Amino acid sequence: MRSPLSIVYLKELRDALRDRRTAIMVLVASLLTGPVTFILVAQFVSGLEEKASTLKVRMVGQQNAPALVNFLRRGDVEIEDAPADYEARIKEGRLDAVIVVPRDFDEKYLSGEGAKVDIVYDDSRTESSPAIRQAERLLRGFNRETGMLRMMARGVSPDLTEPVKVQHVNTATPRQKGAVLLFLVSMFAIISPLLGGMTIAIDSTAGERERGSLEPLLANPVPIRQVVIGKWLAAWTFASGVAVLTLGGFALAAAFYSGKRLAAMMAFGAPEFVLFVLIIVPFAAMTSAMQMLICTYGRTYREAQTYVSYLATVVSFVPLIVMFSGLKDAFWQLVVPVLGQQMALSRVARGDEFTLVDWAVPSVIAIALAIAGVALVARLLRDERIVFGRS
Amino acid sequence: MIEARDLAKRFNGVEAVRHVSFAAADGAITGLLGPNGAGKTTTLRMISTLVAPTQGSARVDGIETTADPIGVRARIGMLSDARGLYARLTARENIAYYGALRGLTHEQIEASVARLARMLDMESLLDRRTDGFSQGEKMKVAIARTLVHDPPNVLLDEPSNGLDVMTTRNLREVIRQLREAGKCVLFSSHVMQEVSALCDTIVIVARGAVVASGTAADLLTASGCDNLEDAFVHLTGEEDAA
Repeated sequence: MRSPLSIVYLKELRDALRDRRTAIMVLVASLLTGPVTFILVAQFVSGLEEKASTLKVRMVGQQNAPALVNFLRRGDVEIEDAPADYEARIKEGRLDAVIVVPRDFDEKYLSGEGAKVDIVYDDSRTESSPAIRQAERLLRGFNRETGMLRMMARGVSPDLTEPVKVQHVNTATPRQKGAVLLFLVSMFAIISPLLGGMTIAIDSTAGERERGSLEPLLANPVPIRQVVIGKWLAAWTFASGVAVLTLGGFALAAAFYSGKRLAAMMAFGAPEFVLFVLIIVPFAAMTSAMQMLICTYGRTYREAQTYVSYLATVVSFVPLIVMFSGLKDAFWQLVVPVLGQQMALSRVARGDEFTLVDWAVPSVIAIALAIAGVALVARLLRDERIVFGRS
Repeated sequence: MIEARDLAKRFNGVEAVRHVSFAAADGAITGLLGPNGAGKTTTLRMISTLVAPTQGSARVDGIETTADPIGVRARIGMLSDARGLYARLTARENIAYYGALRGLTHEQIEASVARLARMLDMESLLDRRTDGFSQGEKMKVAIARTLVHDPPNVLLDEPSNGLDVMTTRNLREVIRQLREAGKCVLFSSHVMQEVSALCDTIVIVARGAVVASGTAADLLTASGCDNLEDAFVHLTGEEDAA
């Protein structure tokens, strides 16, 4: 004889999988999340790098500034004539920045009167900022060179104007740069169990009540706790499954990109995947239990769906708050649900030291909350007011 | 065998049931007859252990409902007012789920489903999903689900609600078969004709209390009326309202 717990568990899984359209949609969507995010982010990042790495400026009136053109050519900068309608093109985002040289430039330049050039751009477009900075840098370089030459011609040491020489030493490893992308992976890792467990959590609580199958189910000679645990295990299975698929999609996408220049940035290989899954599976136990708990208060499927979406919103705000508030890692965060997972995930993502404590503390708390949630659901279902009161 | 002794239930200060005592014997059909809101459903829920009585007690085959609720549930088949099915599962799977929860083996469930399908004339429905079923078809599945473990006591809460004439007739036939099989059948209804056509013993409930019980003849004598309808109106005290 099978235990009531496993009977309920298998029935809920079968019931959920019977809803083919929803099941397939959830599976496909979770598998695709990773690759699509990767492609979009990678395109964006590599686009930025490409724009900045090839030195190229667009100019209007190159013939007015032979000295500037000469300086740029010596620096291997490709100079292109800007089209006549450059302003319109910049507004539309088809051009990034254009250097405009006025007709009287050379005359003023030679007489040392302070010649002027304009850089025309639209800084509301973030993708054009590398090109703008590049144009500025080139013009500054030209300024400095000309100034130095003029001072030397007058017997003044150029060091006088540059008492401090600034050199850039960037300590960020490529992997840390990629943390922006890996932040997205951890955000999806946290949201995916909420999406995965939702259907069963709603259907097995508010759904049972709405269709009038809760009362006959509870009339069976089975302890309520076993029924609730069976339902929760089913929701947990789905939540973990969707999370694993989502993370698997990311790992696949990362493997696909590993041959490219962005390889080091996208470090999400097998070890990271395994650690992410280890962090998310206990977390999924908690989210499923919490979803069931709030859905038990729902009279209808619709109502429960609303409650669940509030929970998802609250949870998905946590990673955003962490990112925008610039919260530094600290032990207390490990104790707070969601925040603890977020911290553990981002430590793995950044390749920081990740200890057993970083994993165990949030996981033990998640499992404890899951057990408390399940016990509370069982108690609610023993309450006449919940089962019959508002049906 | 079902015995209720002075059952009472209060919900948030409202007395749904005040004094309900009766006995329902094996091999007999006992009807709880009363107007809507008289406390019939709450009484059945107390007997089936879904609701705890605030006073009094109920025994099923000698087992106290509060002492061993799971033991009581195992000896009961309860067709409640809520008879929702799982729409994505077939009729057979719906019935088998309850069979498994009541501890039947796979073979026992198969045999039980076959027997009930014949009895309820629903063989052609068994392997279809229940989402397109008519009220009558859903009712058949719900009854089969209630009886899958061949319980000695059968509780039916307003079973003919929402059913057409043909289905109601079939249902009566099933209830009679249960009596022939020696079951204790307890069912509630607010329809006097239905109760008088079926029941061996009638228990009239009004405003949460039993006002009269016995055979149809007993009730006529007690009320001094010459037909059951008048007796019912007289005994429930609904005259004033009418």
